[in-house]
Amino acid sequence: MDQRIAAFSRPAAVTITVRGRPVVAHPGESLAAALVAAGLWRFGEGDDPARPRTAVCMMGVCQQCLLRVDGRLVQACLTPVAAGQVVTPA
Amino acid sequence: MTHDVAVLGGGPAGMAAATEAASHGARTVLLEESPLPGGQVYRALPPGYAGPADADRRAGDALRAALAASGADLRTGCRVWGLGGGPLVPQGAAAAPFTLSALGHDGVPFTITTRALVLCTGTHERIIPFPGWTLPGVIGLAAATILLKVQGVLPGRRIVVAGAGPLLYAVAAKVLAGGGQVAAVVDAATHGEWLRALPALAARPDLLAQGAAWRTRLLAAGVPVIHGAHVTAADGDGVLGRVRVGDRAIDADALCIGHGLVPATEATRTYRARHEHRPQDGGWVPVLDGRQRTSVPLLYAAGDGAGVRGAAAAPAAGRVAARAALDDLGLAHAGSQDAALDRARRAGAAMARMMALRPAMVEAIPPETIVCRCEGVTRAAIDAAAADGAVTINQLKHFTRCGMGPCQGRMCGEAAGALLAAAHGVPIGAVGFATGRIPLRPVPMEAILGAFDYADIPVPAAAPI
Repeated sequence: MDQRIAAFSRPAAVTITVRGRPVVAHPGESLAAALVAAGLWRFGEGDDPARPRTAVCMMGVCQQCLLRVDGRLVQACLTPVAAGQVVTPA
Repeated sequence: MTHDVAVLGGGPAGMAAATEAASHGARTVLLEESPLPGGQVYRALPPGYAGPADADRRAGDALRAALAASGADLRTGCRVWGLGGGPLVPQGAAAAPFTLSALGHDGVPFTITTRALVLCTGTHERIIPFPGWTLPGVIGLAAATILLKVQGVLPGRRIVVAGAGPLLYAVAAKVLAGGGQVAAVVDAATHGEWLRALPALAARPDLLAQGAAWRTRLLAAGVPVIHGAHVTAADGDGVLGRVRVGDRAIDADALCIGHGLVPATEATRTYRARHEHRPQDGGWVPVLDGRQRTSVPLLYAAGDGAGVRGAAAAPAAGRVAARAALDDLGLAHAGSQDAALDRARRAGAAMARMMALRPAMVEAIPPETIVCRCEGVTRAAIDAAAADGAVTINQLKHFTRCGMGPCQGRMCGEAAGALLAAAHGVPIGAVGFATGRIPLRPVPMEAILGAFDYADIPVPAAAPI
């Protein structure tokens, strides 16, 4: 599944690893957008399954989209995709 | 080096303010969190991307080009977390230059010192909680706009668009244009509310025509538009599956929902500027004079962070603020305000009224629904705290941790304030706002501490007993 809009042109796709599985993404798009485009809305369980990690505001405000990229805690909506990133839940 | 003017926030107001100040010869710096200036409406595409023509992006490109030519020092991709100076000095001391502590795009900390500070911090979205709003697949309307217009990604295959204000129709139209399906538009506003907004919108025929085009597109696609209605619940197995509007259940894999915009006032609150609660402007806003001056000397606010009026009105307000700063610093004798400002503000005000908080929606939040999703605080917990004597938002924080999580009440503050006010039968303004505190944004401890060592702490000699 890919929910990207065809009318946009993008740099050539790269592969990142999300919870151990390869996911195709484009350099420069936000990690949050890449996960949504792949249909992976649930980013992690967080502290409480009633309020899991996911994209909500897409602009760096809500702090709900926290993830680890190569072990470092980041906001997925503010973090650009780069080839080879290893993404794990926060 | 001390700057003359620092501008916090690189949206349309901030870009215009920095351009104006720098082009008058003031030493000017603009600090912006995103990789490129633009703000939310005029946001630039990621590097290497090309997308369909877009009037907003063209307006943003013009502001970006003017900024680049102005000579302002542009610091993008930086996270400003600390505010100091100005009135934040020991009691009795004279006001100091403002200081801004930030993390650069490279992770390296830096500090800006400035004589005047223009805050153009913009707005964020208000989502009034409802059962299931924490399910993945439920996303803000402004968030959906960023996905659709900047990232070129559909939030889902079958999408419900709900809430209040013009963004509803903008998002629905963009979904259709992007090849997605809009299962329904659920508009809190009645037909009558839209009709009453028309005279003010007539001041901006361009916006009116755009709105009409969006509606026509929905009509042509056969999208059901439900007026005067609210999403009552969202459910699904781990992710969104259905949206409920009263008795109706609508299958959907994404719900884009927003109930208006809230000015981002954390910086003016931290500087202890005077604020007032004006629902028609989005909620708490700094009190300004006619030239965007706050109650704190040499501190200015412009754009949606000073009261929601929309991106079209923001650049003019930014320029007015910059000219006031130049005047107050004795750097220039600035002219009067843009003629376009009043017209843009009038149209913006009509939209802001439609997006104002609807107390009845807050009243309808069921007891077990989470209001503060950072800390997992439910409506029942807020009501219990109110019954136990919490009267102000600050007291509610102490009682429940509501608003004390990583988002610092940006997402829940409005609903929590309205619930507390309703519990005590007082206007929302009476419960106050959360005291502004640094850090403004979460920041790694190591970034603040640097190469810290306990041995480096100077230990004063012991006092004589």
